[in-house]
Amino acid sequence: MEINKNVEEDGVIFMSIKDGLSENKENKANDGDVTILAIESSCDETAAAVVRNGREVLSNIISSQIALHTIYGGVVPEIASRKHVEKMNGCIRAALSEADMTLDDIDAVAVTYGPGLVGALLVGVSEAKAISFATGKPLIGVHHIEGHISANFIENKDLEPPFVCLVVSGGHSHLVVVKDYGEYEIIGQTRDDAAGEAFDKVARAIGLGYPGGPKIDKAAKEGNPDAFTFPQAQIPDAEYDFSFSGLKSCVLNYINQAKMQGQELDQKDVAASFQKAVVEVLVSHAIKACKEYGYDKLAIAGGVASNSGLRELMEKECEANKIKFYRPSPVLCTDNAAMIGAAAYYEYQKGVRFGLDMNAVPNLPLGDRERRFHANKN
Amino acid sequence: MKILAIDTSGLVASVAISDGDILLGQFSIQYKTTHSEILMPMLDDLCKKVNLDLKSIDAIAVAKGPGSFTGLRIGSATVKGLALALDKPVIAIPTVDGIAYNLYGNEKVICPMMDARRGQVYTGLYTFVPANPEGKIQERRFDMQIIHKQFATSVDEIAEMINEIGKPAILLGDGVPVYRDKLENLLKVPYSIAPMHQNRQSAAALLPLAMQYLEEGKTMSSDEFAPDYLRLSQAEREASEGKENAPKKKEPKTPGIIRVRPMTAEDLDDAAALEKANLGKEAWNSKQLLDALTRDDTIYVVAEKAGRIVGLCGVQNISGEGEITNVSVAPDCRNEGTGYKMVKQLLERGRGIGIEAYTLEVRAANAPARRLYEKLGFVSEGVRAGFYEDPKDDAVIYWKRN
Repeated sequence: MEINKNVEEDGVIFMSIKDGLSENKENKANDGDVTILAIESSCDETAAAVVRNGREVLSNIISSQIALHTIYGGVVPEIASRKHVEKMNGCIRAALSEADMTLDDIDAVAVTYGPGLVGALLVGVSEAKAISFATGKPLIGVHHIEGHISANFIENKDLEPPFVCLVVSGGHSHLVVVKDYGEYEIIGQTRDDAAGEAFDKVARAIGLGYPGGPKIDKAAKEGNPDAFTFPQAQIPDAEYDFSFSGLKSCVLNYINQAKMQGQELDQKDVAASFQKAVVEVLVSHAIKACKEYGYDKLAIAGGVASNSGLRELMEKECEANKIKFYRPSPVLCTDNAAMIGAAAYYEYQKGVRFGLDMNAVPNLPLGDRERRFHANKN
Repeated sequence: MKILAIDTSGLVASVAISDGDILLGQFSIQYKTTHSEILMPMLDDLCKKVNLDLKSIDAIAVAKGPGSFTGLRIGSATVKGLALALDKPVIAIPTVDGIAYNLYGNEKVICPMMDARRGQVYTGLYTFVPANPEGKIQERRFDMQIIHKQFATSVDEIAEMINEIGKPAILLGDGVPVYRDKLENLLKVPYSIAPMHQNRQSAAALLPLAMQYLEEGKTMSSDEFAPDYLRLSQAEREASEGKENAPKKKEPKTPGIIRVRPMTAEDLDDAAALEKANLGKEAWNSKQLLDALTRDDTIYVVAEKAGRIVGLCGVQNISGEGEITNVSVAPDCRNEGTGYKMVKQLLERGRGIGIEAYTLEVRAANAPARRLYEKLGFVSEGVRAGFYEDPKDDAVIYWKRN
């Protein structure tokens, strides 16, 4: 994996991701090629990318604020929004220059318009609308989670719908059938905490800190996953739904009890056992969905999809069940704009165009379209 | 010389375009619509109506702040996007200077006030001083003189400053109606309030200032421009004030997570709806909540989950004793610690406005609420028999003394 990193004066990390980049970007665009400038600012990453035909990433720039939020134990929306304004133009310029392009070479401007933090989303949305208006290029709003799912298209040129996708991140735990490009059927989702949320909370409780996902993943590698047996909730009448709140409470109770009894707590064993409980539920639901719905392709997406325990078990189970397993590189599992460019391409091909009245929609449900913002409202 | 100006710092969304010293057009809306949905369509419309190719403009002026944080960012990100795509310089003008320029030629003390919440205003002091243009005897030209540049302060302090100058004043801005009664009591000089066509942000008023900035070479690239909020974010402020625990309590605002934060004017309608749903006839309406919000002896916080207001509570400081009121949680978000988080935050913030002890009343039958208060260290100190109606119940009086 090749990432050019530069830590800026304010602690923000500027990254140019070379992983997954198109190798033939020297080739000039052919007739019929669609090149999209994509922008993402839904949480604490400011990102811009240039993507050709949905699958060729010509540049992928991420400005990560994670160091700024770590001291607060989580993302502070106001700080995130302020940084987006400061960093956005630099990201867009870098994305264009690494792709060796100007705005004249772009066919459309795409942006995440939900779900996410409203103040953060608004920065990308306002910037994208302004660029679209000033250049006369079409504007496409993209659903953040559809972007995560589409990250799979970038490195897997053979992956085409239909397939099953497990979306797991700090805000989402969904089991989805991707019926066609841009067409999603949610077959399972979390009843309470998202998987990533449970990781964050448990990490905080055992003193690993924020962000919880990567820290638990790391600690778990050195711990015994069978040290404790934590419960894996099954939801009656909704076999594909998840619940992580009970598991989280059980871990927290165990920690409290241990503390009260003055026992030494093995952080790594707790991390490994907790991770195992989460991962086993995620994998078993996903495999069952493939079998029962009759799909032989399974993809994962979202921040938690970079969890090594999840990737290993999923790979093993897919092999045993003759299911082809797809996953993005870890760096494409985090928030980025390349995935937004990938998702936008298929919307563009369907003729979707957004109007200048596009607004941020912080709780946009997966698979939904805010058609009121479409320029062609039919 | 063509300049495009944008101001989204307050309730007004405003765009204007000038060509030389002619105002080609201005579009201003002060209505409940969100700036995000209205700003670009307004600009699009204006460009079409004055047949303007945006590429032909020379610079983009923007009210750089202070103002509503979100409003400022919508305008700023728009200006940055336009300037990046068109390759034009940005002219960043202090918001309060722009408001004052509405009153060109006025030799009174000009005091714009924008409601900054928490008992404060974004304000500044200005006047216009006359000079005769070269070779003219009767014609006068006015230069805007900044007596005090824009800043955030209490209404008491700015009134005091106006009194010290001792000259007649003219007030304008959206902070004036909010503090009108207070100003009447505080001001010792004759004052007037600018009429509606001059008393709010206006992109057109930025244009003459923008021309001066341009002449003086005060432009910047779109990359370096960022709004001037005049205030740190709440998390940074609390961290810098040494509230060690405060930052760590911040939770990421992802769907499903409850986050407690101070109530703002944007929350009033949602908060009132929540009150109504929970309390029926006893509920406060948004006007009563607005009144409570704008006092400086109160603190109101709301709980937000997935972008929705799911909880509300407030405290009022009555000579060192904080009376906690309006504790309200949406039915589907109870037993999730929402009330605990809100009241806990009130207790933490209350010290800042001089509260030393807290009191509240609760229905005797409301066991979950009573457990919550007891968990937070409240002790039952008395009962008002039959205090509540419908259904009839006793009020238990709780105190938390340090």
